[in-house]
Amino acid sequence: MPNTQALKSRIRSVKSTKQITKAMQLVAASKMRRAQEATKASAPYTDAARQLLANLAGHTSVKGHALFTTRPVKTRLLVVIASDRGLAGAFNSNLTRLYAQELISDDRSGVGNATVTIGRKAAQFVARLKDTEVLGSYQDLPDRPDGHELHAILDTVRQKFESGTVDAVDLVYTEYVNSVVQRATVKRVLPAGQDIEPDISHQDVAYEPSAEEVLDGVAYRLVEAQIFQALLDSRASEYSMRMMAMKNATDNATDLIDDLTLEMNKVRQSAITQEIAEISGGVEALND
Amino acid sequence: MHLQLITLQGVSVDTDIYELMAPTAAGDIAVFPGHEPLVTLAAPGALAVRYEKGDKDDELEYFAVSGGVIEIAPTAVRVLVDEADRGDEITEAEVKAALDRAQKMKGEAKNQVEIEKATQLIDRAQVRLRVAELHHRRRHH
Repeated sequence: MPNTQALKSRIRSVKSTKQITKAMQLVAASKMRRAQEATKASAPYTDAARQLLANLAGHTSVKGHALFTTRPVKTRLLVVIASDRGLAGAFNSNLTRLYAQELISDDRSGVGNATVTIGRKAAQFVARLKDTEVLGSYQDLPDRPDGHELHAILDTVRQKFESGTVDAVDLVYTEYVNSVVQRATVKRVLPAGQDIEPDISHQDVAYEPSAEEVLDGVAYRLVEAQIFQALLDSRASEYSMRMMAMKNATDNATDLIDDLTLEMNKVRQSAITQEIAEISGGVEALND
Repeated sequence: MHLQLITLQGVSVDTDIYELMAPTAAGDIAVFPGHEPLVTLAAPGALAVRYEKGDKDDELEYFAVSGGVIEIAPTAVRVLVDEADRGDEITEAEVKAALDRAQKMKGEAKNQVEIEKATQLIDRAQVRLRVAELHHRRRHH
């Protein structure tokens, strides 16, 4: 049977672990709330860009535009969005599993593959692979990246697509459904406007400098909004999953402390009982 | 005339106004109620809003905007930009520091990509400085 000293020090160490997981849980919870609000904020931008694009599609032919060109997919670019830090439950493993599945399916169908990683964990995962070409990797993005940080990513993606180096661009990210459900998903962003219905009710609108140039600006912004949304969703999912993981860890630590305390009390009790038995035994022996 | 100023961070203005002065690729344009339907590209610069018809020039509200799209209809204007900072939200000291950093970056740039990136940062800081200045001038009147 272990002695009380050893049990005491184990309880102490579990207690300090619990303090840390509890703190991480609270931090993740407060960051999650902010990230959750942010995921809703960019919706008006996306809606407005989609509507403009629908109007434009009713006015001019969009098919000829560089960002809309549908080509047979010979090479695909995957933008993988993971987190910079671990300890977020299954967040990164769910995502990398989906990413690996996509790589395997490309490999089987003979499609070339290129990758842009966002987040340290994605970069670490991709660094061990040989079947993809890494075109860029971004780390330590803030919770709410501004347009400037986004442009670096966007310009890489756009340039690779327009030059024909890649024929399609997919985002691999975690969709934030609500605080309980987060789903790793693949979403196509280029060629753009696959699901846009032309709207011909705005025929009298003038475009300056030209419909083509406005189309270029709008398409660029739609793709930008989609990448931005994916970044925000991933961030909210990360915090949400970290909060759950840390909550579980805190609960486990509480159970463990209870079990250990019970065991320590038992050990102490039996030691006292034994000492009393020895003393009374000794007294009996003296009396005889 | 209704104005909506929409950025990636959310809707920053959603209200009725009288006049909008916006920077476009072809120079600044002024938009009044009843303007013919037009969609044009916004250039990075200072966007000014006159809320009421009788408002004087020193009552204009300024925003530093990045590039985007402006959609004009007779009764509504929608401005879609990546970033829009209201004049009173810009801290001049911060922007000046950012400008210094960007200029230093340009000086140390090793290739064309870095030079372009630094130039963009410099332009952005200069637009924000100008808007902060316009805003201050307004306040001192």
